Amino acid sequence: MNILMQPRSINRLSTGSLALFIILASESIFFATMLVAYISLRDQAILPVEHTLRRLIIPLANTLILFVSTFFAWRATSSIRRGKTSTLKSYLLFTVLLGFIFIAGQIYEFSRGGMHINDQSYGGIFFTLLGFHGLHVLAGLVFLIINLLRAQLGDFSVTHHDAIVLGTWFWYYVVAVWLVLFGALYLI
Amino acid sequence: MTAQTDIVVKRRAPVVGGLISWLLTVDHKRIGILYLLSASLFFLVGGLEALLIRIQLARPENTFLSPDTYNQVFTMHGTTMIFLVVMPLAAGFGNYMVPLMIGARDMAFPKLNALSFWTFLFGGLFMYSSFVFGGAPNFGWFSYAPGTEKLYSPTHGMDFWILGILMLGLATTIGSLNFIVTIIQLRAPGLSLTRLPLFVWTMTVTSFLAVFSLPSLTTAVLLLFLDRQLGAHFYNVVQGGSALLWQHLFWFFGHPEVYILILPAMGIVSEVIPVFSGKPLFGYPAVVFSAIAIGFLGFTVWAHHMFATGMPSTTLLFFAADSFLIGVPTGVKIFAWLATMWKGKLRFATPMLFAIGFVAMFLIGGLDGIHLAVVPVDWQLTDTYYVVSHLHYVLFGGALFGIFSGVYYWFPKMTGRRLQEGLGKWHFWLMFIGMNLVFMPMHILGLQGMPRRIYTYGAGRGWEVWNFVETIGAFIIATSIMIFIVNFFASLRMAATNEEDPWDGFTLEWKTASPPPVYNFAEIPSVRSRRPLWDEKHPELADWRVEE
Repeated sequence: MNILMQPRSINRLSTGSLALFIILASESIFFATMLVAYISLRDQAILPVEHTLRRLIIPLANTLILFVSTFFAWRATSSIRRGKTSTLKSYLLFTVLLGFIFIAGQIYEFSRGGMHINDQSYGGIFFTLLGFHGLHVLAGLVFLIINLLRAQLGDFSVTHHDAIVLGTWFWYYVVAVWLVLFGALYLI
Repeated sequence: MTAQTDIVVKRRAPVVGGLISWLLTVDHKRIGILYLLSASLFFLVGGLEALLIRIQLARPENTFLSPDTYNQVFTMHGTTMIFLVVMPLAAGFGNYMVPLMIGARDMAFPKLNALSFWTFLFGGLFMYSSFVFGGAPNFGWFSYAPGTEKLYSPTHGMDFWILGILMLGLATTIGSLNFIVTIIQLRAPGLSLTRLPLFVWTMTVTSFLAVFSLPSLTTAVLLLFLDRQLGAHFYNVVQGGSALLWQHLFWFFGHPEVYILILPAMGIVSEVIPVFSGKPLFGYPAVVFSAIAIGFLGFTVWAHHMFATGMPSTTLLFFAADSFLIGVPTGVKIFAWLATMWKGKLRFATPMLFAIGFVAMFLIGGLDGIHLAVVPVDWQLTDTYYVVSHLHYVLFGGALFGIFSGVYYWFPKMTGRRLQEGLGKWHFWLMFIGMNLVFMPMHILGLQGMPRRIYTYGAGRGWEVWNFVETIGAFIIATSIMIFIVNFFASLRMAATNEEDPWDGFTLEWKTASPPPVYNFAEIPSVRSRRPLWDEKHPELADWRVEE
């Protein structure tokens, strides 16, 4: 958008963040309707499904990994606010690495066997919820990697780093959704 | 934050002319026109499908269409008119008019705007390509699962429908996001929310409805796709799925969708009636508030589409009462339009005729809706032609009449030429008579128990006469549309008059040239009241003297 053409000084961060908030609100309805489907389906299984995937070790580890990654994402934002591009890069890199470890953990869980997507409605909704969350993690990783590359090219400064802030918010959102799903799928 | 200090002006790609420039355009006005033209083509296709339906039903035991073809035709008729006609027509007017009405130079995200249009167009073409690949979707526009599971709908039609719906939903979500950000961020100085033109307000509410309701449809069709393609069992009761889950997910989208279709038309009518009555809109705050109220209430009434599914009586009671409630803000609007016309200097030009037609026809459709919200009545009438009548009075008599009002009203702004009044009046009266001939007898057929979606019926039930009358009415509507097409091309061939303000309008879109230059306004206008252009033309009677 050509800002010069606009009548008044427009805070670009608020335009971008407004757009992101609307997207995330829309995404939240998506996950909420999926969760409603989960809640209405999970007690309807006619044959007992072996909940072998509800072993808590890896999901718990993954929760911790995402927690730590939000800390790094937050540090990345606060470093660029103070103009420290080198610490920005390392914190972004840590966040991305933790994100990939999370994905690796999820792939291991998915491929471990014990339940399939066509094991009654429960298997379907379990994998669909986690699968769509996983896709969102991948989207967040793409966002962060682009930010990392742009940081490498020197695109960001104290005054010009909206993408870093938006990327961090998206990452927080992905982690928040994970916490809800972890509670719904593994704890209750 | 000092956004202006570190701006680098980037040069755009070299300008290309001709048709290629329409493919590459990110200008909101051109994208608006692309939306309007593509949706008009889909409208002709959807209209032909309606004629096929009416020919088949003209006589009992007719064999014009086979049952299977008939199913495909009515499914695509509904899907087309909703997703490929009314929604993109509103998006087209929104794209063209919202930036002009708020005194901006483009939408907030011009490239996303182009993405939204092309996703819509290819989503529509993709869905239609199913006719070539083994048959179109054939389970009605709401595709109830489990009937749409692979076992019962083995052709690829449903897969095309699912993927097409996902594309169209994506397009609408992107477009709505763009509208919301544009309207919140890019208003001209002084254009506060309390001065926003009604069409901009209704586009805002519509966009929020789309952003918050479409995810539910996305969930519904994704689960169905996983059922069909990966063998999941979301809607398969034998394997612990649910037969009602689809209906809840679908109608949680489907009811707000009804308001997504009607609110932009209400906005157009709220622009046209004041201008052609020579008065400001009566009860502006009430009309705005009623649009917002419709938006909220629209999310809480979905299960009135499911009265016949055997819900607990408390649930029935809640959804029935809630559905009555939504009649209140709608009634507020009707009274506001009538009060605007009251003692006004009325000019019955074609845009005004369509606007008045909208009020009358929408009122009938709305009252039918109240009947259907009464649970015992609904048990009797659900899935009969009474419902078909109701939905066409609100979507044809309502949404389409409103949109045609907008076409006649804004055509001079978009092309620099007026549509011819004589042909316009023929178009209006034939369409008005035709639609009442088609849809009024459906009330009777519904009460007589004729179910919707049957491909033929036996003689001797008293249905023959009304079905035949309806078919005649359908061809009268088709004639009126032909007259409109002739008018459209004939008017385009006339010399441009380029009147800036042909209707003595009130809002900012009439303040610039017709058609507007790429940059819309040489100088960004500033606004002091709800009728900025009236203020400029009549400084001594300016609204801001009263409003402030």
